[in-house]
Order: sequence, then structure tokens, then C-alpha cells
Amino acid sequence: MNSITMQCKVEVLRIFRNPYFVFWSLLMPIVFYFIFTNIVNTNVPDVELWQAHYLMSMTAFSVMGSAIMTFGIRMVQERTQGWSSFMKITPLPTWAYFTAKMFGQTVMHLFSVILIFVAGYLINGVSLTFTQWFFSGLWILVASLPFLAIGTLVGAMGKVETASGVSNILYLALAILGGMWFPIYIFPTFLQNLAEWLPSYHFGSGAWEIIRGNSPSLKSVLVLGGYLIGFMAISALVRRKQESM
Amino acid sequence: MSKAVAEVHQVTRKFGKTTAVNNVSFTIEKGSTVAILGPNGAGKTTIVSMMLGLIEPTEGYIHLFNKNPKHISVREKIGAMLQDVSVVDKLKVHEVIALFRSYYPSPLSMAELIALTGLEKKDLNKWADKLSGGQKRRVGFALALTGNPDLVFFDEPTVGLDITARRLFWEKVNALKAKGKTIIFTTHYLQEADDVAERIILFNRGEIIADGHPNAIKQQLAIRNVSFQSDDTEKAIQQLQSLPVVSRCYQKDERIYAVTEDTDAVLAALFKLDLNARNIAIEQGRLEEVFEYLTKQNEEALKNEQHYNAM
Repeated sequence: MNSITMQCKVEVLRIFRNPYFVFWSLLMPIVFYFIFTNIVNTNVPDVELWQAHYLMSMTAFSVMGSAIMTFGIRMVQERTQGWSSFMKITPLPTWAYFTAKMFGQTVMHLFSVILIFVAGYLINGVSLTFTQWFFSGLWILVASLPFLAIGTLVGAMGKVETASGVSNILYLALAILGGMWFPIYIFPTFLQNLAEWLPSYHFGSGAWEIIRGNSPSLKSVLVLGGYLIGFMAISALVRRKQESM
Repeated sequence: MSKAVAEVHQVTRKFGKTTAVNNVSFTIEKGSTVAILGPNGAGKTTIVSMMLGLIEPTEGYIHLFNKNPKHISVREKIGAMLQDVSVVDKLKVHEVIALFRSYYPSPLSMAELIALTGLEKKDLNKWADKLSGGQKRRVGFALALTGNPDLVFFDEPTVGLDITARRLFWEKVNALKAKGKTIIFTTHYLQEADDVAERIILFNRGEIIADGHPNAIKQQLAIRNVSFQSDDTEKAIQQLQSLPVVSRCYQKDERIYAVTEDTDAVLAALFKLDLNARNIAIEQGRLEEVFEYLTKQNEEALKNEQHYNAM
């Protein structure tokens, strides 16, 4: 048991020592939040709602990024540098290694959520009920699972360069098309229709509903669940193919 | 239950159409130091990776401590230093070692590891991925020994190390031998195998071509040669090669070497052919020579293969 605790501790330590994490997952979303709720005049009718809405967008944006990028690229790195094979000859079971990675990732997501929520409170005095804070945070943690599954797919790629290139494009495309940077109602109709099928839109949408006092829609849950199962299946297939080589 | 620490039974490993290891069998006794020697591409790393359970044999089986190498109880008793492994980033050396100590039931203490591996105290606070080649190797060595293993694998442990570092490394390995550890290492330096191991398993093109004590191997592979100098090298080589007693003939450093089992017959022919041979010498072939020959053959084969693939 000692080894798993230690492994978890080390994973968390490694994530927080990574400057890319601090920049992409914490600084970027907070700066974006500041710009689009204070500097750029968005002419929204309900300023307070917009401030809370965009806070959810940026938190989801941050967590989605670390799920796809940090997790996936890390896996590629550890494999290409021979570290993953080296771990296989230690008595630490593979599931423990994987669990520790997931744990590290969750701690990191939780940390991002808390920090960005606090930033929203400090920057714009966003005020939500305790239930809304709690459930929107919880939603963002749990509904990030499909993106972790995308991360494992990225992690199956051969080179760090490919993995980081692909995941960057995927990440930004999902964020923009899913309405995390700008609400989708300003999009042309066909893009709005597309967003309805993207996991990123439903990821944000759940939190947007919660701060409006609603529950995430059933469609959001189904779409995200579908993507999760789909990506896990593809990932398992890819892994089996790679192992049989 | 046999006393064998490792048992390799009729193991074959194919990668696509290439056969990296071909029907190989051997057992390794407890407490022995075994060198798996062979030129590059002989299948050394493949056999070690299979023994460690990192890749599966296509045919045959491998047991360590009478169990599948992937068994947790086996992993607790083995340690390894692999080729081209960089330590994870964002961790300090002492943190990586502490992490590894947590994996094993009875790990060595930090002080013991420092004494055993020559790891320096000042390196402990450095980032593990930012070390020099030699420092990295010492950390790798320490990680291999952290669990106080009974069986230790070193895959090409001295490649890229300077002479001093190499000597130090083997000194430490000798100390491990004295502690009764079973040691298996791969190398393509014959000298290392000869100096350190009490048994050499000589690999070539995926097969074992000799297995035994270094001296026994030398005798087994002993081939003799007649060497001389001549003004017309080409003619001499051509004529000697056509003799049935000469297995091969080559030129090296101004001298012509005729490899044979019957040096007397070659000498007789040498005079009869009137090749103006000077400075004639008869030598007992050395293991180095056999090894060099194998290495060269292998390189040529590889070159041909590459040529073939490029077409």
C-alpha cells in the first residue's frame, strides 16, 4: 500500500513542478477570463450571469486542456524514454501505476477548479450559492472523463512532437467550436448544429445549466457518456494492436 | 525444484519476418556471473527483454525462480539496468530512489546504495533527468539494486562510459558477485566478458554458437592460422583460398592470414606454391579473432539486408 501512496504523491509533485501546467491550465484561463469579462465590452444584457457563465467556460477549458494534453503527452514521454518498460520490471502493478496517474490528474483538476473559481470571485465578485459552486465543480471534475480517454489516445502516439501537435489542435478546436471561448449563439447555424454533437459543448453546457439553477440536460450526459465509451474502446483497440506487435 | 535461477527453454522470437532469437535454450545457476556476448544485432537485448518479461517469446518459455518473469514475486527478486532509459522528469535523484524503495519488501538503505554503486551524495539533490551520462548510469545502477535483488540484469552497461568509469563499474559488479548475487549482463566487448564472467554465452544472429567458461570457449573455438608477408598479396590469397585445408584467408595489417586446422599442410603448400613468403608465423587463434570475424560477418549481412530493403 505504501508504494501506491508514494506513487500518487510523486505524480502530484511532478505535475505541479511542470511549468506548462501552471501556464496553460492556470494562467491562460484566468487571463482570458479577465479579458473577456472586463476589458472587451461584450454588450451582454445580464453582466452578472455572463461573468458566472464565462467562469464556467474557462474552468472547463482549463480542465479539458490538462486532461487531453498533460495526461497524453506525459504517457508518450514516459514510453519513448523507456520509463514505462522500466516500471514493468518493478513489483509495482500496472494498475497501481495507472491509478496513481489518474489520481495525480484528479488532484490537478481539483486544484485548477478551486483556483479559477477563486479568481472569478476575486476578479468579478462572482457569487453563486454553495450548491451551485459545489455541483458545477463536481460536474467539471466528473465530466472530464471523456477527455482523459482522449488523453489516453494521444498517449498511444509514437512521438512527443506528434502528440503535442495533435493534442494542441484538438484542444483548441474543441474549445472554440464547443463555445468555451464565445457562446455558440453568435455562431452561424451549421456551427451551432455541429457544437450540439461535440463533447466540449456538453462539458461546458452542464456547468452553464448548473449556475442558471438547472440540472445538466440528459442529452449532455448521454453525449459525454457515449464519447467516453467510444474513446475507451478505440484506446483499448489501439493498445491491443500495439502490444501484439 | 532446480537450483536454476533462470531457465530459457527453446525460445524463439520473431519480429515480423525477422527472427531475432532462434530456438535458444540455457539455464543459469544461482550465484553465477554470465555474459551474453555477441556483436550488435545478435539478439542479446531481445533475449534479456524476454527474460525480464517485457516481450513475449513467439515460441518456448522462460522461467525465473521457476515462475513466469511477470510474476510479482519474481519482480521483487530481480533488478535491471536497461539501455536507453531516461529517468522520469521533475523528480530529484533521492526522490526517485525513495519511490523505488517503496516498491520492494526489503529495500537497501540509501547508505548501502551509495556504497554499492558509487553514487555521489551531491548527485542526490539533482534533477534526475538533468544528469550527465555517467551520473545517469550510476542512478540506473542504484535503481537496479534498490530492491536488494537476487538476480541482476545489465544490458550493455558500459556503452558510452570512459575507461575509468568502466573499471569502477566492474569493480562494483565484482563486489556484488562476492555477495552471491546472480548476474547476467550483455556486452559486445569481449574483454569485459572474459574478465568478469565465469560463463560466456556467445550469440550470433539469434543463435547460441558457444556456451561455457571463457577458457573452454576459447579452446572450443580455437582455430589456428599461418600468417606471413608476401610481395604479391592478391596472388597469395587467391592460391591459398583454393586449398581445401584452408577454411578462409584474409589480409590484415600487411600480413596474410590463412585459417586452418592443419598448419603443417598449409606450410608445405606455402613453400610448394613459391609465394615468396616472409616472416612466417603460426598462431593459436584467439577468441578475439573469432569474435571479430563474427562481428564483421554480421555487419556485412546487415549491410546486405539494408541494401536489399532499399531496393
